[in-house]
Amino acid sequence: MSLFDFDWGLIWDNRGALINGMWTALSVSTVALLISTVVGLLLAVLRNGPRSVSWIAVGYINVFRGVPALVSVIWVYFGLSLVLGISFSVFQAGVIALSMLYSAFLAEIFRSALTAVPHGHTEAGWALGMRTSQIFFSVSLPQAIKIALPNIGSMYIGMVKDTSTFTVIGLLEVVRVTQNLVATTFQPFVLYTAAAIIYVIAAFAIDLVFRLVEGVYVRPPKALLGRAIRARQRRNIDKIVAKTRASSLATAQLFVK
Amino acid sequence: MSTRVDEMRPAGGNAVKTPIVQIRGLHKSFGQTEVLHGINLDIHQGEHVVLFGPSGSGKSTVLRSINLLEEPTKGSLKVDGVEYGPGFADENLKRGTKLQLRRKVGMVFQQFNLFPHLCALDNVALPQRKAQGKSMSDAREHAAEALRKVGLLERAGHYPSELSGGQQQRVAIARALALDPDVILFDEPTSALDPELVGEVLKSMREVAETGMTIVVVTHEFGFAREIGDLNVFMENGRIVESGPRGFYDNCTTERAKEFLKAVK
Repeated sequence: MSLFDFDWGLIWDNRGALINGMWTALSVSTVALLISTVVGLLLAVLRNGPRSVSWIAVGYINVFRGVPALVSVIWVYFGLSLVLGISFSVFQAGVIALSMLYSAFLAEIFRSALTAVPHGHTEAGWALGMRTSQIFFSVSLPQAIKIALPNIGSMYIGMVKDTSTFTVIGLLEVVRVTQNLVATTFQPFVLYTAAAIIYVIAAFAIDLVFRLVEGVYVRPPKALLGRAIRARQRRNIDKIVAKTRASSLATAQLFVK
Repeated sequence: MSTRVDEMRPAGGNAVKTPIVQIRGLHKSFGQTEVLHGINLDIHQGEHVVLFGPSGSGKSTVLRSINLLEEPTKGSLKVDGVEYGPGFADENLKRGTKLQLRRKVGMVFQQFNLFPHLCALDNVALPQRKAQGKSMSDAREHAAEALRKVGLLERAGHYPSELSGGQQQRVAIARALALDPDVILFDEPTSALDPELVGEVLKSMREVAETGMTIVVVTHEFGFAREIGDLNVFMENGRIVESGPRGFYDNCTTERAKEFLKAVK
């Protein structure tokens, strides 16, 4: 049986369903990424804090890094919902499960990124009369984000792939869509090839987006996007410099006279 | 004493005026190891103080105690008459917070410590916005003026990675200067620089000194120390061995100071 004996046209015929599946996967992952970024950052700060609070973060990170996505989503959808008396939608359950796991991963990424920012910058901030919170948001965090971005991108790709396990709770993501199509067409090889391709395309797209965002954080701004974003600031600085230059020249001339 | 003294002050200590920084019986321990064993030092308005001595002598620790980057274990640190250190139990003085102290005392570091994600202008502007609550445009205009003073106005839009070490350190000087501090501390400001870049930083420091700013410098540049030092303090093993006014480098009396100066010549 050669490759040409398969009905590859199925992929094109069902492109809409497959793309919808990826759209669902991306939606769940994106919401979960936003939540994990905030929670992960909080955990990282806690983790770097005094021992009286850091153990909470250490405990959380070590437990949730170890739970597989499949177990996590079943636990949330069939377990946690019973305990809390809330019936989650499959979408919500997916978001909660992913957020729980990836908050732990992102906490470690942010912790190492914050540690990589030289302590001297914090000291300089103190010496200049800034509060620790001001230093965190204006000095440490912007540098840490730049360091963390490539790893956050990888985590995001991991999240999208982990949504494939949410087929067990019936989330209509790529694998679930594929399974449904296989059930009616009996072409698993063709359809799972399509699923694989669509995951790879998504991974490439995410990588591209993160590269663009990283470009914004490069100093001096090099990429087109980075330069475009800084253009207004650049003009403002040029204006202030010109003004100061003019006033100092005026003073100098006063002395000459 | 918060008013600026406009007249030229005589070199060396001035017994009549209260010192702007007064350190008494300052001790500092790291764990079990005591590194400062009771330091007494008076710094007056407009005075240029040089701290020198072998490495590990505690000169940087003294300097870093003045803005509480190192917190003294014992002793008194008064700035403008306000107590910021542990103080002495019997005194019932006005006490100030670390934040209040640091808004009066500027600092320049050996490693520059510019913020790499901000251009030179914003490095100078950021602390003004955060510590003094200035608006972005006020802070930037004031920052541009400070950069002009160190000769780097034309580099305002450059990022630290685009500047030489000497230029970075001059931005750091402008950054400290722009906050209008009462005192500026320099912690080995030229030690991380290529030899050919030392001169431009010393020139900016000299210009700051000439405005009448009170400065405290830890340095190994003895030519510069000779030139600006109104009060020169030789430290070793966590103690002040000897100190003296201008001309101290040729007239010091202790054997250890003479020996040290001979070795570094």
